[in-house]
Amino acid sequence: MSAFYNTFERHSHGEGLKGHSTHYCPGCGHGLAHKFLAESIDELGIQDRTIAISPVGCSVFLYYYMDVGNSQAAHGRAPAVAIGHKMANPNSIVVSYQGDGDLASIGLAEIISAAQMGLPISVIFVNNAIYGMTGGQMAPTTLKGMKTMTSPYGRNENMGSPLKMAELIAQMDSPIYVERVALFDSKQRIRAKKAIKKALQIQVENKGFSFVEVLAECPTHLHLSPTEAQDWVKNSMLPVFPLGVKKDVEPTHIFSFEKPSFESGKLLALIGATAEDVPKFANSFPKHIDPLDISLKLAGSGGDGAQTAALLITRTAINEGFDSTHIPSYGPESRGGTSYADVHIAEMEVLSPSAPDPHILIAFNQPSMDKFAPKVRENGIIIGDSTVIHSMPAIDPTVKVVMVPMSAIATELGKIMVKNVVALGALQAATGLFPEQSFLTAIQQGLKDKKELFPLNVEAFHRGMEAALKSEKI
Amino acid sequence: MPNSRENLLPAVDPAYCKGCARCIDACLHNCIEMGNEINPLTGLTPVILHLEDCTHCGLCVTACPEPYGLHMDSITDDYSAVRPETFDGVVKTRPKAASIPSTKIPINPGKPILIKGTYASSIGAVLAGCRHFYGYPITPSTEGAELMAKLLPNLDGIFIQAVSEVAAINMLYGTGGAGLPCMTFTSSPGFSLMLEGISYMIGSEVPSVIVNIMRGGPGLGNIAPEQSDLKLVCHGLGHGNTQCVVLAPATPQEMLDLTMLAFELTFKYRNPVIIIGDGYLGQITGKVSLPDYMIQPGLPDWAVYGDAGHRGNLIASIDITEPDLEARNIRLNHKYDTMIKAEQRSDSFFCEDAEILLVAMNTPAQMAKGAVQQLRSEGIKVGLFRPITAWPFPVDALSKLIPQIRQIVVVEASNGQLEDEIRLSLSKAGVTQLPPISFVRRFGGILPQTHEIVEKIHALEGVVA
Repeated sequence: MSAFYNTFERHSHGEGLKGHSTHYCPGCGHGLAHKFLAESIDELGIQDRTIAISPVGCSVFLYYYMDVGNSQAAHGRAPAVAIGHKMANPNSIVVSYQGDGDLASIGLAEIISAAQMGLPISVIFVNNAIYGMTGGQMAPTTLKGMKTMTSPYGRNENMGSPLKMAELIAQMDSPIYVERVALFDSKQRIRAKKAIKKALQIQVENKGFSFVEVLAECPTHLHLSPTEAQDWVKNSMLPVFPLGVKKDVEPTHIFSFEKPSFESGKLLALIGATAEDVPKFANSFPKHIDPLDISLKLAGSGGDGAQTAALLITRTAINEGFDSTHIPSYGPESRGGTSYADVHIAEMEVLSPSAPDPHILIAFNQPSMDKFAPKVRENGIIIGDSTVIHSMPAIDPTVKVVMVPMSAIATELGKIMVKNVVALGALQAATGLFPEQSFLTAIQQGLKDKKELFPLNVEAFHRGMEAALKSEKI
Repeated sequence: MPNSRENLLPAVDPAYCKGCARCIDACLHNCIEMGNEINPLTGLTPVILHLEDCTHCGLCVTACPEPYGLHMDSITDDYSAVRPETFDGVVKTRPKAASIPSTKIPINPGKPILIKGTYASSIGAVLAGCRHFYGYPITPSTEGAELMAKLLPNLDGIFIQAVSEVAAINMLYGTGGAGLPCMTFTSSPGFSLMLEGISYMIGSEVPSVIVNIMRGGPGLGNIAPEQSDLKLVCHGLGHGNTQCVVLAPATPQEMLDLTMLAFELTFKYRNPVIIIGDGYLGQITGKVSLPDYMIQPGLPDWAVYGDAGHRGNLIASIDITEPDLEARNIRLNHKYDTMIKAEQRSDSFFCEDAEILLVAMNTPAQMAKGAVQQLRSEGIKVGLFRPITAWPFPVDALSKLIPQIRQIVVVEASNGQLEDEIRLSLSKAGVTQLPPISFVRRFGGILPQTHEIVEKIHALEGVVA
């Protein structure tokens, strides 16, 4: 019994001898690795659950032979594909079967990260020290001095040294079991079979990541007979790739995965959906500023709270039944640098979300004032922090300027962070954009997890309003 | 005990022996030797068994690399007569899984919520039944992934930050191949890295949703908005003959709606669906209404899920014989043709009597909409045609408008990639009489602004404000 197909229908449609023989050259180690894998699957009773990932290389046609779920991966990506399958159905037993070019060259990032992620998948790594399918080129595991099609004078110092994958994987934290085995004599073959079965058993028990490196013969590209190739593995590869268990530890935890939830109440609560009515306070769209679409720019340093204030304005507008958008400037300097936000409020639909020439500017510092004040459109309004802004650039003469000591008020209230709420109070008083209660409702929503801060915010808002009414142009 | 080890002896059909001689080496009693006759069927020289001294140890069988090569069989006089089909006397059969359809679960959508474009897409995904997310952080798409990292563990879903975009797209290949809805967010440089995987997905017919929040390029470029991946998503989805439905939302609301649509289409066609946004759309916060349903996904019959019913399935894009690969391509082409017929989507704004037609997608379409509004108030007959599918390009709707249009102005954040799509699709549709086409183009992370579009129209010959 084994997990091979009765007939290899996928091997040239199973015609003739191909229905029952592999595409491998005589004496190739892959056949044995396949056989031990197929027997292990059968013995563990996991044939229905198993998914074999075929790599790119000579074993690309693993799926011709294994009567399990089959998925064929791009070159080197088998461990990533394996993780995708395992996470889709944690009850599946996923085997990533890869050669040395696939795993140790192009797929290094995938295998290393998969190993260290430690998820329960089993990797069978067939190392024959050469590229088979492409015709005998140098592999990362090619021995020093070894002649290949791309190292015709022998692998020299400039071409590096053979990569010892089992040792590399074993020194990482997450893998549970790593062993290197060979196929060159009966004893090694029995060990190889045991190792492959153990790697699968570990996955069946949800223990974690297992890795078996199989030293295999490629008689064709070694230009040796199959039995000479066995001797070559024994005499030439073994000194570089010593056999044995490299790691075999008990896991720190057993993996378990719940079935994904499709409970609607839970999902809606998570995404913050609410059916609660929010009271409206505005009688109509603030047409005194613009009949259709009002744009605001809030600008300051990162930490001034420009983005939060902008979002509160957007929330206020949406609570009142209008459309509104907020777009931040963003960038690698997103902490501590210049931070500005564009807000639009439209009676029906916000069209262009940017505010290159805003109706209203709230400037939290001098550079922001200098940069954006000249762009405020005719009959617009500028609100600035008089604590830190001491001069005005040239602006349109119809623009109204309201200076409020935002930082000073916030400092007096004992919390500099409420500076932006002072600004919102000033905005309300200076522009009549929305009623006071509209803003306070939005602030209250924003503080739903920090209710104790609401009174302070109300006070900050009121102080901003008062200061705006008393403000004098600088 | 008819099948006890003593009653079994090694046997091999010469046609399935490649003559590698590993068994000769393994036998401790010299029972096996190389034959001296070439097998006419294989051209290889099989071994010959002399089993007088055989101890039934089976080491020769363990040494044979061929699945149907040497095996232990009942003692007969003719060692070579046993056919592989009867090796274990069991013909393996499997129950075939039927497709389980997805189900719509009604929900109370409540009040509109206020969220970013990328968040809206994430929420659309979880509503569409996506519980698997794989990604690699890249500005300006990362917030979408961050929200998934927050939501999915609470829904017993999977969020994995992959080692690279290359790994991420291949994890999608695994989960999509297992028949479950899954997605990633990325931005232009990351999208380039995913193209190999996307080609494999198309070839293997694996569903998945890929959101590309396009940023300024080429190279590292910057993190501000651009639309210069249009040529990739329409004509360059990796190597080979590839197409995907490409959805181009313009607002946070559409980020949600089109993400939900993307999940529907990706399973309908067994083909990845790409959503392209621009950096602005990813970052913009706006009002989003939730739908009145959510999806619990089913499981398609073709999935490689890892259970009995799906055991015979294969996800692969390789066909080593040319006629097989040609057949696969023909099948894909049929699918693309169906998409072209069924999935063209567009939006028209003031197009009924328009003489000047703006064409724009994503956020530039919103800028263009603003321009239309302003120009209409001046009495200029201008309209906006907005492709919602970048591929298939909504050429049916556009061609109908062409006869009334005396000037097309393409508004885009790229150097003519949208214009190329317009010209190519009209040409393929046989529309030969084109009005003059001019453009407003910005790039490098700058979007065309409303006033630039207005100025462009004002400057057109014969336009009187």
